[in-house]
Amino acid sequence: MALATQARKPSGGPTGSPRREFLARSGSGLGSLALAHLLAGAGILRRASGAASGPLDPREPHHAPRAKSVIWLFMEGGPSHLDLFDPKPALERLAGQVTPESFKLPVTSATGSHRMPIVASMRDWKRHGQSGLWVSDWYPQIAGHVDKMAVVRSCWADGVNHVGANRQMNSGSILAGRPSMGAWTTYGLGSSNQNLPAFVVLSDSKAVKGGPTNWGSGFLPATYQGTHLRQEGPPILNLRPPQHMSEEQQRSRLDYLKVLNRHHAGRFPDDDELEARIESYELAFRMQSAAPEAVDLGQESAATKRLYGMDDEDARRFGTNCLLARRLVERGVRFVEVYCGSGGGWDSHANLERNHSKMCRVSDTPISGLLIDLESRGLLEETLVVWGGEFGRTPFSDGGPGSIAPDVYGRDHNPWGFTIWLAGAGIAGGQVVGSTDEIGFRASERPCHVHDIHATILHLLGLNHLDLTYLHNGRAERPTINGGEVIGDLLA
Amino acid sequence: MANSLGGLPRGRNPERCGSIVLHAPSEQNAGRLRDIVSLARSHGPVVGAVLALALAVPARGEAPFTAAQRGYWAFQGVARPEAPVAWGERWARNPVDGFVLRGLRANGLRPSREAGRTALIRRASLDLIGLLPSPEEVRKYLADESDQAYERVVERLLASPHYGERWGRHWLDLARYAESSGFETDVTRPNAWRYRDYVVSAFNADKPYDRFVQEQIAGDEIWPDSAEATVATGFNRHYAEEGNQKDLLLARQEMLHDITSVVGSTFLGLTYGCAQCHDHKFDPITQKDYYRLQAFFANVNHDDRIPIVPRAALREYERRLAIWEEKTAPIWAEMSDLLMPLRQYSPQQLLARYPDYVITAVTKPASDRTPIEAWMENLLAIKDCNTCALRPPPYLDRRFRSVVGKLTGERKERFDELDRQLAQLAHLRPPEIQRASGMLDVSGSAPVTRILSNGQYTSPQESVQPGFLSILDPGPASIDEPTHLRSTGRRTALAKWLSTPENPLAARVMANRVWQHHFGRGIVATPSDFGMMGERPTHPELLDWLADEFVTSGWSVKRLHRLIMLSSTYRQTAGLETALGGGTDTGSRRAARLDPSNRLLWKFPRRRLEAEVLRDSALWAAGLLNTRVGGPSVFAPLPSGMPAPTGGWKVSERPFEHRRRSIYLFAKRNSPYPLLAAFDLPDTHESCAARDRTITAPQALSLLNGEEAAQWARAFAGRILGIAGEDRDEQVGAAYQLAYSREPTAVERESAAAFLDRHRRIIAAQVEAGASTFVPERVPSGVSQEAAAALVDFSQMLLNSNEFAYAF
Repeated sequence: MALATQARKPSGGPTGSPRREFLARSGSGLGSLALAHLLAGAGILRRASGAASGPLDPREPHHAPRAKSVIWLFMEGGPSHLDLFDPKPALERLAGQVTPESFKLPVTSATGSHRMPIVASMRDWKRHGQSGLWVSDWYPQIAGHVDKMAVVRSCWADGVNHVGANRQMNSGSILAGRPSMGAWTTYGLGSSNQNLPAFVVLSDSKAVKGGPTNWGSGFLPATYQGTHLRQEGPPILNLRPPQHMSEEQQRSRLDYLKVLNRHHAGRFPDDDELEARIESYELAFRMQSAAPEAVDLGQESAATKRLYGMDDEDARRFGTNCLLARRLVERGVRFVEVYCGSGGGWDSHANLERNHSKMCRVSDTPISGLLIDLESRGLLEETLVVWGGEFGRTPFSDGGPGSIAPDVYGRDHNPWGFTIWLAGAGIAGGQVVGSTDEIGFRASERPCHVHDIHATILHLLGLNHLDLTYLHNGRAERPTINGGEVIGDLLA
Repeated sequence: MANSLGGLPRGRNPERCGSIVLHAPSEQNAGRLRDIVSLARSHGPVVGAVLALALAVPARGEAPFTAAQRGYWAFQGVARPEAPVAWGERWARNPVDGFVLRGLRANGLRPSREAGRTALIRRASLDLIGLLPSPEEVRKYLADESDQAYERVVERLLASPHYGERWGRHWLDLARYAESSGFETDVTRPNAWRYRDYVVSAFNADKPYDRFVQEQIAGDEIWPDSAEATVATGFNRHYAEEGNQKDLLLARQEMLHDITSVVGSTFLGLTYGCAQCHDHKFDPITQKDYYRLQAFFANVNHDDRIPIVPRAALREYERRLAIWEEKTAPIWAEMSDLLMPLRQYSPQQLLARYPDYVITAVTKPASDRTPIEAWMENLLAIKDCNTCALRPPPYLDRRFRSVVGKLTGERKERFDELDRQLAQLAHLRPPEIQRASGMLDVSGSAPVTRILSNGQYTSPQESVQPGFLSILDPGPASIDEPTHLRSTGRRTALAKWLSTPENPLAARVMANRVWQHHFGRGIVATPSDFGMMGERPTHPELLDWLADEFVTSGWSVKRLHRLIMLSSTYRQTAGLETALGGGTDTGSRRAARLDPSNRLLWKFPRRRLEAEVLRDSALWAAGLLNTRVGGPSVFAPLPSGMPAPTGGWKVSERPFEHRRRSIYLFAKRNSPYPLLAAFDLPDTHESCAARDRTITAPQALSLLNGEEAAQWARAFAGRILGIAGEDRDEQVGAAYQLAYSREPTAVERESAAAFLDRHRRIIAAQVEAGASTFVPERVPSGVSQEAAAALVDFSQMLLNSNEFAYAF
């Protein structure tokens, strides 16, 4: 009973220092060796007797990690797996027909298109690499990397609409309020570069659907939320001092602030929260120079920029972000999420041919360049690259008058079956995992839920998704909620 | 945690959470161990261990509850305990102190000495109104030699209209208050702010808490003629909502899950939400209880256009509107004939995109509809004008004119002519009346509520009647159908139960929340979880005593403030160095060792200011704060370079409006105001009982480099110059008075002077090199540009400092 009382110390209460609070919630502050022993193997608990640590200090993983960093290439809007990585000859046979009942149609699809006729893929398909994986002609350069890629064709998710699906791909739940994977990762591992944010988000100019909740920290402390790097001006909000402020002036201000704070601390000796706040200003000062350096592409050669497609009008923006992603992981940033088509760029309820032709042109060279660059720098071994959208697209057309003509057809959202692929650290490349049904509508063989993808990514980072917990509203919450299994087939 | 949309493959996830049935410990030990291991896997190791060591929950459906559950403290009636008086009479001012002192003594600790007067007035002001005291108020208080000086300060603050802005904000956190829908479109809910004003006024008026609860749950049923009570039902309207949801029953279920969970946690301090998919793992809340609570809301739907004018005014409005509608009807009809063919989709095509069950429901005659079908028709009428059988008039249809641009030639000319005819009749249209957002019953007969397997509406099980927590009251709730209203009366029954003194949780939970916001943590440190997984009360008898006082005072929140703030406990110093009774450092160090998190309250807890208090106080110190109370929200400029939020953010025209108190900044669910978000403004997708208090580098950056903070500093320096002129010592003194409510010490004056000197030289060198300076709008003639610029930086560092950013 005594043990139970101690263990039931979740909230810590806001009066405690943030550190103490953090430790209490994460389980390392349980303060009971006996309980810690009882729960041995519960990962973070291992540090129960260790010294108090700051929320961003590097922490030991649960097991030896394969990946140090993750670059998640998020194709927002939902790319069509049926036209990129998952060829379905049956669609040609069924084209023009309403989907047969045997395929278990949903109660409703996103726009109610499930009564619309099936459309076949118009792409040319080829096998590539030694592994002979199928890739359509829309991704000619990425096709050159198939032997590094593990293509999961049997993904499924719960959200039929963009915001919910974006959120789930990021946080496990279609509802807001849960921490994103980057936040969980930072919570679990801390940061390996104290002068840069540990979790960085890059996007196009349009806002990602669902906004900052996609990289939010949910119920975890705000410290773990992602930092959205800005495209114009200073990369981090408020990073640059005002125009009139020289570095000397800023330093002089901070020195005086320290004088003020030290004087105040005299009345509150041994107060680690006040100390932490003093330190946060020093970190802010260091970030002022570290962050601009990290995003300064002036240091990159013209050849490198070409590699990322930055000389191409269409690919420049996403290529720039891919190059930034490499620079960030190089500097120890743990989790980088790069949106391609933020605001739903891949969403093609109509004119899929035109839309995907463009989005593939936007993304093919930059992604291929990223893989080449990471590999040549030895970074691919320790960097996990993930490609995917929030869902795929349906085999049936999305309706509207004349909806199946080649130049107008579109496809609806499909969370029931879609493709993502992974490459790099710890991934056994050149293979396909799982499959969808004959028409590519539902995951059939070896279905992989979003939770499974999350569990696998965390596993590669050295974290066990079952043991990465945070006590919230009386429940030890974990990244995968109630599900999640590591997709063993993916691991090298 | 409903995390699925209809028709998806499912099974694995909910099962892992839901398959664990726990048995009493006497039998099936092996099975129980397996369950615990399994539970630890699904809910985390700590939870599993706690369960293993402490709990025995009967298997599902197995009544009655265990003796331990029935005896659990939070379910016992509130019995007024005797207040301890024997010890420390000299220190104790009221019974609150007796309870606190007993806890301290039992642990060999002493209270700290009383804080200085400056600290007290500052603490009380930040606490009650969220603003700093003015130097004048401080002077007056210091000069007041009467015994009642401090009481007078507390009374003045309690009577301030800004009190409601501060304490109303705490309530808005619980209500997950926001003014937009969230999800993809994040559309504005234009009348949501009336609920915010309702809450602010309720606190200002010290509205009895029982009435406050009743109005928010069932104001429309109990006081149908009260505009205020209707606005209050907005409490349950603040759920996030996917406007694009075609599966209407899923939309309804998500709404009901949200309401059930938020009502349970806010008013009862229980994590009802955990019982959505299975019996609660730790508390005696059965899955059936969850749906019994949900059943009170089975027939509610939102209405964002509820008229809130007196009946006579409404009748007059409707009379005039009818005339106008009749005169304009042929015009609208002809306009519609012109526009409809240009629509991409006809209403029939749009309706075809809904699931069959929706189409069936809305196309049948109204008299044939079941209650759930009537509910769907109601929602469709609200959300999708074009597909609804009961289509609203064109002038309310946002999309009616969406294809006007496609008209050409004669048709265009004809349309313009019709538009002119409309304009000629415009004088007949009555001015729009005031409206509110709220939650009303759709009709007098509610759809059946069923227990849902895994919380999915597609898996209905047995039906349930509205009912309370079974362990307290197992029968169905007794419900009186209202005679004059089309409403079920269900919520009235719930509202009464949530606010009766016999409910052991009602008063305790609210009294604890009041305590929580005074001391930074509640007597129960998990204010929305009084269950087994929540914290035990640090002072259980004090909590009961406060709860009893609360009820017997007529549920007066201000009575609780007085009891707490006038106690010696509240008046203790926050510093470590000064324990009472000559113990000085050794005493307080001992206390710090024995009770590092100050649960026993041997000192006043120091806390970082909440986001709004920090911004409002900085604006106030700078002399910029616009103190207007109430009204529609304002849009302050967003940091340059920030992408425009979805759904729009039209910056308010007059800069004066940008400087309103933070509670009046538009609460956009998907894009919280960046400065406030950096300082832990809660995510409005969930009810928040206790905010985080983080310390981060982005916070430092926002106060060091942000545009808003720079404007504060500039105005602050200008204010100092206005007060003190060119005398530097006076300047430093005025700045300290405004920012810290005190005079600087000699040492501080010296270090300030040293900084201003050094800084002036740095800036002078920059000016010589051609740089610009950042100075107040008006600089007196005797003050150089670089001295003024140095003063701006000095002012900004005061606003950045810990002494400013903390309440202590």
